[in-house]
Amino acid sequence: MLPERPGAPPRPRESRARGGRRLRAWLPRIMPVRWSRYNPSYLEPEAKKESYQKPLEELTEEEREHMELKAVRPIKAAPPSLSSSVFSDPMISKFTNMMMKSGNKVLARSLMSQTLEAIKRKQLEKYHKAPENEKETIECNPYIIFHQALKNCQPIIGLSNITKGGKTYQVPVPLTDNRKRFLAMKWLITECRENKHRRTLMPEKLSQELLLAFNNEGPVIKKKHILHKMAEANRAYAHFRWW
Amino acid sequence: QLDRGCALHTAARGGLSSVSSQDVPAQRPRAIFHTSESDPAKHTEQHEGRLYNIPLEEVKAVFPHGLPHRFQQQIQTFNEARVMVRKPALEILAYLKGSNFAHPAVRYVIYGERGTGKTMTLCHVVHYCSRQGWLVLHVPDAHLWVKNCKELFQSSYNKDRLDQPLQASVWLKNFKTSNERFLQEIKTQKKYMWGKRESTEEGRPLREVVEQGLARVRSASDAVGVVLREIKQQSHRGSFRLLVAVDGVNALWGRTTLSKEDKSPVSPEELTLVHNLRKMVTNDWNGGAIVTTLSQTGSLFKPSSAYTPQELLGKEGFDALDPFVPIPVPNYSPREFESCYGYYLERKWLQHEKAHTEDGKAELQFLSGSNPRQLDRLAGPL
Repeated sequence: MLPERPGAPPRPRESRARGGRRLRAWLPRIMPVRWSRYNPSYLEPEAKKESYQKPLEELTEEEREHMELKAVRPIKAAPPSLSSSVFSDPMISKFTNMMMKSGNKVLARSLMSQTLEAIKRKQLEKYHKAPENEKETIECNPYIIFHQALKNCQPIIGLSNITKGGKTYQVPVPLTDNRKRFLAMKWLITECRENKHRRTLMPEKLSQELLLAFNNEGPVIKKKHILHKMAEANRAYAHFRWW
Repeated sequence: QLDRGCALHTAARGGLSSVSSQDVPAQRPRAIFHTSESDPAKHTEQHEGRLYNIPLEEVKAVFPHGLPHRFQQQIQTFNEARVMVRKPALEILAYLKGSNFAHPAVRYVIYGERGTGKTMTLCHVVHYCSRQGWLVLHVPDAHLWVKNCKELFQSSYNKDRLDQPLQASVWLKNFKTSNERFLQEIKTQKKYMWGKRESTEEGRPLREVVEQGLARVRSASDAVGVVLREIKQQSHRGSFRLLVAVDGVNALWGRTTLSKEDKSPVSPEELTLVHNLRKMVTNDWNGGAIVTTLSQTGSLFKPSSAYTPQELLGKEGFDALDPFVPIPVPNYSPREFESCYGYYLERKWLQHEKAHTEDGKAELQFLSGSNPRQLDRLAGPL
């Protein structure tokens, strides 16, 4: 028999007839810290209040099964970013995480809240000074502005480097939703970090950029248009894509 | 929107059965937490928890300095200045209305935890006194005089003391804006020499002293001292009432972060401004009142959990201010919270769609702990 490597999972000795699948996953002696390697039997934690307030009769079959399963299976630890607050928004959390540097979530979150407040103040001042007929057109909700601005910044088509015959070509390629959202947020953050005056603070600059993107103007929208034009120009290489 | 207004209406109806009809017109439920009474002299328990409006011109005249920064931003965004009428302020106003001005000045110390509304209470009292025609000596934050001073000069009047020209000139400018007519009426009672050549004669209006201080910035601290001395000596005559309003009075008896040229630390009594202000805050004069606030936020070398007079003033300060009337300022009561929440909704400050629901309101109340400052900071991004 071959000698075992130290630290490798034990090989199966003989297969015993067992009903159902094996639930004991092999755990190494040293637990990794960065990623969580839970036993597959652990279930996700449920944070929404509404799911606990439903009376027993209203549950469907699957939900009843799920509840019974929760009584016997262990639950994973809730991550710190999971919130049961009615004001929590996954896009805002993602954007805050992307703004964060060296794990300073407190600073990133305060910058985000200052940005939202700055947007609200600017829009409210405009609203109060505008004449009656124009008041409906002015959007004061910073969350709607944020979401719309991000949607406006998302590219539809992207470019990817494909090497064929020794040369690398920029090939137009469709993007997944996650990639589009990531690119929009990345462009906004890099734009605000690099192209600002030394003395302007991040919330001020970010609120400016978000308002411009909301109206389909500004450097980030321009970058998106440049990418679209490049993809249009390289249309001939589209057949290089094989997926 | 009408339903929300009606719900608030019925909830608040219990305590306000004697509300006059002009405050609550039937078609506009928004007015339940507003009051049209903009004269603080007429505020009573009936108006408790409601917000009253100060016209913007009056704000510029009465408060050239002294309003908290967040409140000034709010005035700019909403285009109006609304201050809530709360119990501690009503208490002080009642004492002021019933006080005997032949007796020595009574000292009131407003204290409370962080962000409960001590500075706003002081501003309410200052507004009342300026409406009544008193001379208001408002020091917006005494902590600014004991830290971050770029220029410290040796005082020409007394070799041991140190002058602060910048802070003194800023304060003189704001004092001039708020008390124009008194500066014309009050006359100096002795001759003052500013250096070798300049002097102010006896019987000249105080305005000249102030202008001298603003023109010659070097002698601004001495000008402040002269102004305080004159006002104190003439207050007992009864031609005007004097209100000394000091925010952050615990700065006068603590430590400073300033140091002399030989790097030795400066204690507060070596500063001219602090020395003169301490003389104002003693109760050896009559014809007015002294209303002060304790503040941990700008204080030096004090732990953040300290809020009682004993902790913040220290032994020296407590003995100097003793006897005083302590006025605690608590967090918002449920009615005051409803009022503040309703005001934010009405002014479109709370834009998040969930903030209009009962769940959102309960969450705001829980997260802020009914603390006015926390509520303001939470409602900012929402």
